[in-house]
Amino acid sequence: MQKIQRLLLLSFLLFSASAQELTKDNVNFTIRQIPTPAVKAFYIGRGFSVAQTKPYADTCVYTTTLRNDKADEDIHYIRKNWYASVDKTRHHIQTNEYWKKQFDKSEVTPSSWIAFRLSQMPEEQIYAANGGWNQGILSVNVPHGTTFDLTIIWDKKGIENELTIQGINCEK
Amino acid sequence: MNLQYKALTVKNNILKLFLVLVLFATVSLQAKPALMKSLTAVKPAINAPALYLEDTEEELINIKQFKGQVVIVNFWASWCPPCTREMSSLENLYKTYKSKGLVVLAVNVGEDDDAVFDFSSVMNPELTAIILFDKDSKAMQRWKAIGLPTTFVLNKKGKIVYQAVGGRDFNDEKITKIIEALLEE
Repeated sequence: MQKIQRLLLLSFLLFSASAQELTKDNVNFTIRQIPTPAVKAFYIGRGFSVAQTKPYADTCVYTTTLRNDKADEDIHYIRKNWYASVDKTRHHIQTNEYWKKQFDKSEVTPSSWIAFRLSQMPEEQIYAANGGWNQGILSVNVPHGTTFDLTIIWDKKGIENELTIQGINCEK
Repeated sequence: MNLQYKALTVKNNILKLFLVLVLFATVSLQAKPALMKSLTAVKPAINAPALYLEDTEEELINIKQFKGQVVIVNFWASWCPPCTREMSSLENLYKTYKSKGLVVLAVNVGEDDDAVFDFSSVMNPELTAIILFDKDSKAMQRWKAIGLPTTFVLNKKGKIVYQAVGGRDFNDEKITKIIEALLEE
């Protein structure tokens, strides 16, 4: 019976780490949590110390993709306009400037900062119709154990669009 | 005893099948994002910014020395999954068309020699395109490349005529036809 329980638990854990995905108006967004040890390992590999990774690794960290696969026009976004909603409270995505200030306190090296900056989902970007996309890391500043909705906003020909993925878990 | 053993075996087999299905579903859900199969035309074509960086032999390479040739400039990093995924098709493109004058400048951003050599040493096919080092990311900023990977295609006049934001399958016919047309100009 214990073996069965372990198998079921493993299955549950595997499922809970799955990606969530939504497409709206031919714009596709996916999000999957990166476990805290993996976040730390990635940035340690980029030259951060364990202590230097802490402020970032303590947030809910995800790998995301945003694709303008089939939209008929270019799309443009500004990342700081995206937000997580928890009990109707909005938590906007932090800017790179915010993280720079955090890391400057712990004297992160210039090369580590470059890797950090470039590994994030770009702060502002334009994706050409039928082809532009990026994969990047996204930090959501809510406590581990929280479930939140994430709203992604972009504009196309000056008209704002948004999609919301509901019920994203931030596993502890 | 035999019946109990058979029941347990059946139960275990069902559980194993369930686990395989779960793993399959999980892997499917976590499938790598598809590499795109297009380039975006830059209209009007724009003059390429300066690019003057060291290669793996610590020789300074100036993009101006390739005027008269079709040049692909690709900004990448070894920790960037779409960058590493597209690299083999970019290398294949280079190998296919280098005899016709195609130049590929794979500009690594922000990493040291060891990181680049570690990656290139395990690459299949072996990376023979010119690797340049943009260690302070200033070249990437000069080219207004915001994320990784970003690719620019220059015609023989040194103008940017195509670009790509995000990973590409450079083996795709849509892309190879563009390169062939530029090489024939």
